[in-house]
Amino acid sequence: MNDQTSPLWTHLTSEARLTGTWRSALPAYQNQPSPCLGACPVNGRIATWVKQVKDGDLPGAFATLTENNPFPAIAGRICHHPCETACNRAAHDETVGICSLERFVGDMAISEGLRFTAPVEERPQSVAIVGGGPAGLSAAYQLRRLGFQVSLFEASNGLGGLMRHGIPAYRLDRAVLDAEVNRIADMGIDIHLNAQVADKTALQSLRGQHDAVFLATGASQPKRLPGLDYDAPHVIDSAGFLAASETEQKARSGGHVLVIGGGSAAMDVARTARRLGREVTVLSLEPEGRLPAQRVELEEAAEEGVGFVTGAMLHSVSAGAGGLDIGCIKVNFEPGEAPGQFRASPIDGTGFTLAADTIVPAIGQDADLARWQGLLEPEGPVIGTRQWQTSAPGVFAGGDVASMERFVTQAVGMGKEAAKTIAASLDPSLAPPSPLADPLVVGDRINTAYQDPRPRTHQGNAGVTDRLASFDEVQQPLTPQAAQVEASRCFSCGTCIFCDNCYFYCPDMAITRLDLAYEVKTDYCKGCGLCVAECPTGAIHMREDVTP
Amino acid sequence: MNAPLKNRNLKLLNGNHAVAWGVRLAAPDVAPLYPITPQTPILEKLIEFQSQDLFDAELLTPESEHSAMASAISASALGARVFTATSSQGLLLMHELLHYAAGARVPIVMFNVNRTPAAPWGFWPDQIDSLAQRDTGWVQLYCENPQDSLDTVIQAFRIAETTELPVMVNHDAFWVSHSVEPVDLPAADLVQSFLPRVKRSVQMELGTGRALSAPADQASWNLSRRDMDVAMHKVPGLIDAAGREWGDLTGRVSAPVETDRCDDAEIVFVTMGSMAGTAREAVNRLRDTGIRAGLVKVRLFRPLPVAELRDVLAGVPGALVLDRNYSPGTGGVLHQELKSALFGINEAPNLFGLLTGVGGINVPVETLVSLAQEYRGADPVSDPVWVE
Amino acid sequence: MQKIDYCDDGQFCSGHVACAGCAEALSMRVILNTVGENAVGVVSPSCVAIIVGGHPTSSARIPFQHGTLESAAASASGMKRALRAQGRDDTTVLCLAGDGGTYDIGLQALSSAAERNEDILYICFDNEGYQNTGGQRSSSTPMSAVTGSTPAGNTTQKKNLIEIMAAHRVPYIATASPSDLSDLAAKVTKAKTIRGTKVIIVIIPCLPGWGVADDAAVKTARLAVESGVFPLFEVENGVTYRLRTTEKPAPIAAYLDQQKRYRHLSDEDRQALQDDVDRNWQRLLWLAAGE
Repeated sequence: MNDQTSPLWTHLTSEARLTGTWRSALPAYQNQPSPCLGACPVNGRIATWVKQVKDGDLPGAFATLTENNPFPAIAGRICHHPCETACNRAAHDETVGICSLERFVGDMAISEGLRFTAPVEERPQSVAIVGGGPAGLSAAYQLRRLGFQVSLFEASNGLGGLMRHGIPAYRLDRAVLDAEVNRIADMGIDIHLNAQVADKTALQSLRGQHDAVFLATGASQPKRLPGLDYDAPHVIDSAGFLAASETEQKARSGGHVLVIGGGSAAMDVARTARRLGREVTVLSLEPEGRLPAQRVELEEAAEEGVGFVTGAMLHSVSAGAGGLDIGCIKVNFEPGEAPGQFRASPIDGTGFTLAADTIVPAIGQDADLARWQGLLEPEGPVIGTRQWQTSAPGVFAGGDVASMERFVTQAVGMGKEAAKTIAASLDPSLAPPSPLADPLVVGDRINTAYQDPRPRTHQGNAGVTDRLASFDEVQQPLTPQAAQVEASRCFSCGTCIFCDNCYFYCPDMAITRLDLAYEVKTDYCKGCGLCVAECPTGAIHMREDVTP
Repeated sequence: MNAPLKNRNLKLLNGNHAVAWGVRLAAPDVAPLYPITPQTPILEKLIEFQSQDLFDAELLTPESEHSAMASAISASALGARVFTATSSQGLLLMHELLHYAAGARVPIVMFNVNRTPAAPWGFWPDQIDSLAQRDTGWVQLYCENPQDSLDTVIQAFRIAETTELPVMVNHDAFWVSHSVEPVDLPAADLVQSFLPRVKRSVQMELGTGRALSAPADQASWNLSRRDMDVAMHKVPGLIDAAGREWGDLTGRVSAPVETDRCDDAEIVFVTMGSMAGTAREAVNRLRDTGIRAGLVKVRLFRPLPVAELRDVLAGVPGALVLDRNYSPGTGGVLHQELKSALFGINEAPNLFGLLTGVGGINVPVETLVSLAQEYRGADPVSDPVWVE
Repeated sequence: MQKIDYCDDGQFCSGHVACAGCAEALSMRVILNTVGENAVGVVSPSCVAIIVGGHPTSSARIPFQHGTLESAAASASGMKRALRAQGRDDTTVLCLAGDGGTYDIGLQALSSAAERNEDILYICFDNEGYQNTGGQRSSSTPMSAVTGSTPAGNTTQKKNLIEIMAAHRVPYIATASPSDLSDLAAKVTKAKTIRGTKVIIVIIPCLPGWGVADDAAVKTARLAVESGVFPLFEVENGVTYRLRTTEKPAPIAAYLDQQKRYRHLSDEDRQALQDDVDRNWQRLLWLAAGE
C-alpha cells in the first residue's frame, strides 16, 4: 500500500478543511459602553478605571477618571451616582460601590499630590468663564487641557460654587474641596474672585475681550413659597442658612427648626441644624419614599434625629405659646414630566399643626436670567439648551443656568460637554462631542456564571453622637484592601479583561491569543457565537459576515 | 505422508493441542480468546503454557468472541502479532468484525474449529460456519489432521504478515480437534527463523496522527477492495512457496491444492478437511479393485486456487465433490465453487456434488468406495445429492 | 473570576466538521490536549467519530482507530495489550464513544473491560440519544424527552450508567461538563495517573437533538449541572463518592426551558422530572455520605 494514498489510513490533519466557509456571522472584539458609563453624567469610563483600581494602578485610575471629571474626591463623596443604579451587578447581588471607589482614587490623588499635566500645545484663543462652580470649573479644566487660554470670573470670594456655599462640610471636607479646586486653578487659569458679571453690558464687554464666553452662573435665586413672609424674623432661606457662619446661625435660629422641602438642600439644612443642637422637623410635599433627596441622605438624617412630616404642605403661620403654630394640611402629590414639576392638591379635613420657632424653606433655586435681558433670550427657566449655545453668538451656557437637573455631577458633565463644543467652535479640527453611538452592554450580554455572588463592601459612617458634635465628615473612606476587593466585584461590562474565555470556549480553535488582544481565524471560525455567549463582560459581539 | 524422518520430535497430540503448540512456537504478542466447544482446548492449552512461562503473549479473555476479535484487530493495528481461536456461533458472532479485519488489512491468524451452527443446537463437524464467511476477505485454509493443523497455523502467520490479510485456519470438530495422533513438533528456532518479524507498510504509530479506517468516500472504499484483490492474487503462490520451504525444513511439503494419484485417475474425490483422510483410504481401496481413483484435497479455499484446480482436474473424466456442508438453496459450497472455477475449460470432468457428512454424520470409507463405483462413467448430475 | 486552567498544545486541529457551537468538539479539545501526545485512541461510530474526521483527514494529533459501535472498550483493551507487549505501557489508551455506544450496544464490551480493569481511559460523550443518526432515543435518553423515535416523549428512565460502572469497582468514574473546562481537564489529568479502567461521562447538549441555540450548548450544560440534572462528581473504587458541591441544586425549570425537546411538557410532567432529579440528588448525597 502506498503510504500517502492508502484508503485505510488518513494522512492529513483536518486543518486542510476551511470551515470558515460555513459562517454567516463573525465575532468582533469591540469594547462597548457599560451601563454605568451611559448613566454617568460625565460619561466616565468607569469599567476601565475600576479595573485599574483592581489591578493596583491607582495613577492610571486617576488619569482615566479625570479625563471626564476633575473632581473624583468630591464626586466620590456627594455624587448621586446614577452609575450604581444602572450597574448590571444589581441583578446578580448588589451594585458595585462605584462612588466609594471614586472617592478612594480621589483621596489617593490628593494625598499623593497628583497634578494635572500641562497641555501639549498652547492655543491663542481665549475663553471667559463666568462662574466658578462645578460647571465653570469643569469647562475651565477641559478647555485648559486642550491648551486654550481661560479666564474665570467668580462672584464670591472663593471657587467651588454650590460645593463651597451649599454643601456642608460634614458631607464634603473643605480641605478636599480646596485641593481639587486648586489643582484646576494651578493649570494656568486666570482667576478673578469677587468679580461679578452683573449685567448685559458687562457680559458684552467680556464677549468682546474673548473668543467665547461660557456662562455657568448657577441657580442663585431661591424659589419662593407663596404665602410665607420671607421678611419675618423667623424665616431664613436655605442658602442664607447654609452660607452663614456658625455663630450667625446660632444667633438667628431658635430651638426648633422647621425645614420645608424634600431635596438635598433640605437635608443639608436639617442636618446642619441638628449639628447646631436644634430640634428639626422636615415638612415635604412628597409622600414617604418619593422625597427627591438621596436615600442615604434621608437615612442619615433620620439617624441624626431629624423628624419627617411627609405628604403635606404649610398653609399658615401664627404666633403660638413659646414659638410658632404652623398650620399644615395633607396633600395629594402627583409628579410632573420634567424634573421639579409636580401637582399638589390639599385634602380637605386633614389639617394639623406643627410647633417650631424657625422656618427654613429649602424648595430649590432658579437661575437669575433677568440681568442679561435684551442680550440673551430665556428658554423657559434656562438658557443654552441648543448644544450649550445661547441666543448670543459665542456665548455658551451650562450647569444650573442651563438645566433643571440640580446635581453637582450633572453640572460637571455639562461643563465638559460645553467645553468640547466651545473648543470645536474655535478650532474645527477638534471634534465636537459625539453622543454615545454604541449600545450599552446590559443584561444578558453579561455572563454572570463566572461571578460568584459577593456582598458589597460598604463604607462606614461615623457614630451619630460624634456626627452631631462636629461638622466632620460622616462618611468614612474604604481601606486600600477593601477598595481592591470592591473593585474586583466590577463585571467590567463591555471591556475586555483578557480572561481567555473566548479562546478556550472555541470548539474550532479559531481564536488566537495575542499580547492583550485576540484574533479570529477566519479560515476556521464557524460563527457559532459561543465566544460571545461565554464572554463574561460583553466585550465581543457577532456581526454579520457574508463574504464568500 | 512419505516424507523422510528429519529431527523428528513426535508427541501424541489432539488437533487442538497441536494448534496450541503451533501458536506457542509462532509466539504471538497478543491472544484474545473466548471459550467455545470444541475450540476450548486450544485456549486451555495456551493458558497452561502461559502459566508455565512457556508462552508470554498478552492473553485477553473478554466477554465474547466479538470483543475478542475487536481487541485482536486493534492490537494488530498497532503492529502486534495476534492470534485468536473460535468455532461456529463464535465465528458467526464475529462476522461483522471479520469484514472489518480484512478491510483494515490486519494480519490476524485465527483458528476455527468447524462446527454446526444452531438451530438446532449441535456440536458436530460441519464446515458451513467458516464457508459462510467466504466473502469477508479472510484467507481460508482447511486442515486434514493434527499435524496439518500445526504446520498450517505456523505458515498462516507468514501468509498473513506478508500479504497483510487475516488468515483463518480450520479443522473439523472432533474428527481433528479431539483426535489424538503423533505430531512432529518443529524446533522453536526453526519456527522463529521461518516467521521473522515483518514491519507493516503502515501501522498505528505514536505521533503520526494517522487514523485507521476513517469514514471514506466511494472511491477510497473501492480502492480498498482493489488493494485486497491484488493481495488475494498473491496468496496461492505465497502458500505454495511457504509449503515448499516448510517442506525443506521439516520434510512436510504442502500446497494450496494437494493431489494423490490423480495423474491417471478416471475418477477423483475433491474435498476439504478431515474428509480428505477418509477419501485417501477410499482411493487405496478403489485402486485395489482396479478403479483408477484419485484425491484432490483443497487446502486453500479463499482465495480459491482456480488455476491450480483447473490444472489438476482438466482431463479427469469424473470428480466427486464431497461437501461436509450445505448451503440451503444451492447445495455444497465446494461443489458450487468448482462448477464456476472449471467453467469453460477443455476436458472438464463430470462433476457430482455429494452432500456427505452434513451435520457431522459419519461417512465410512465404504460409502465413498460405493459412491465412486456408482458415479464412475455416469452422466453429469447438476443437482447436489444427499448421501445417506 | 477563575481563569480556565489547561494548556492547549494543539492536539486537536481546526477544520473538523462538528456542528458550529458543538460542545462535544469543545470537550474533545480539552480531553485531547490534557491526554497529550503519548496516547493512542479508539473512537466508536458516533458524532465523535465524525469530529475525529473522515478519510483522508484527522482532527487529532494522536493516532485513532475508527472501531465498531459495540466494541470500543474491547478495541481499547486490545490496544493496551499490544502496547504492553511492545514495552510501551506508559502510553495512554483513550476510548471515545457516545451514549449509544456506551449505555446500549457497547455496554457489554465496556462491562467486560471494566471487570478486567483494563488500563484504559473511556470517555462517554453523553448527548442522551442517537444524535448522529438524526436523534433517536437511547437508554440514556431521559424521561419525557422528545426524540425522533419518541415523538410524544420518552417513557423510560435514563439508565444509571455510573452506578453500573461503580458496581464494577473500577478505580475512577467521573461526570464532567463542557461548562466547566477546568474541572474536565482536572479529571482527565487525574484519570491519567490511575491504572485501570477510568470512565468519564461528559454531558453534551446536542444543538439539533435537544433543540438548543448554536451559542447555548455551554449554557445548557451549565444549567444541567446547576439544577442537579447532571451533577458533577467522582467515584473512586466504586464506593467513594465525591460531589463537586453539596449545595441544593437550582430548580430544573430554567434547564427545561432552554430546550425544545421538553417544550411539550405539562406542569405535572415538569414536576415529575423535578421530583426525579430531587430523588437522584438525595441518593447521591446519601452515597457521598456513605464513606
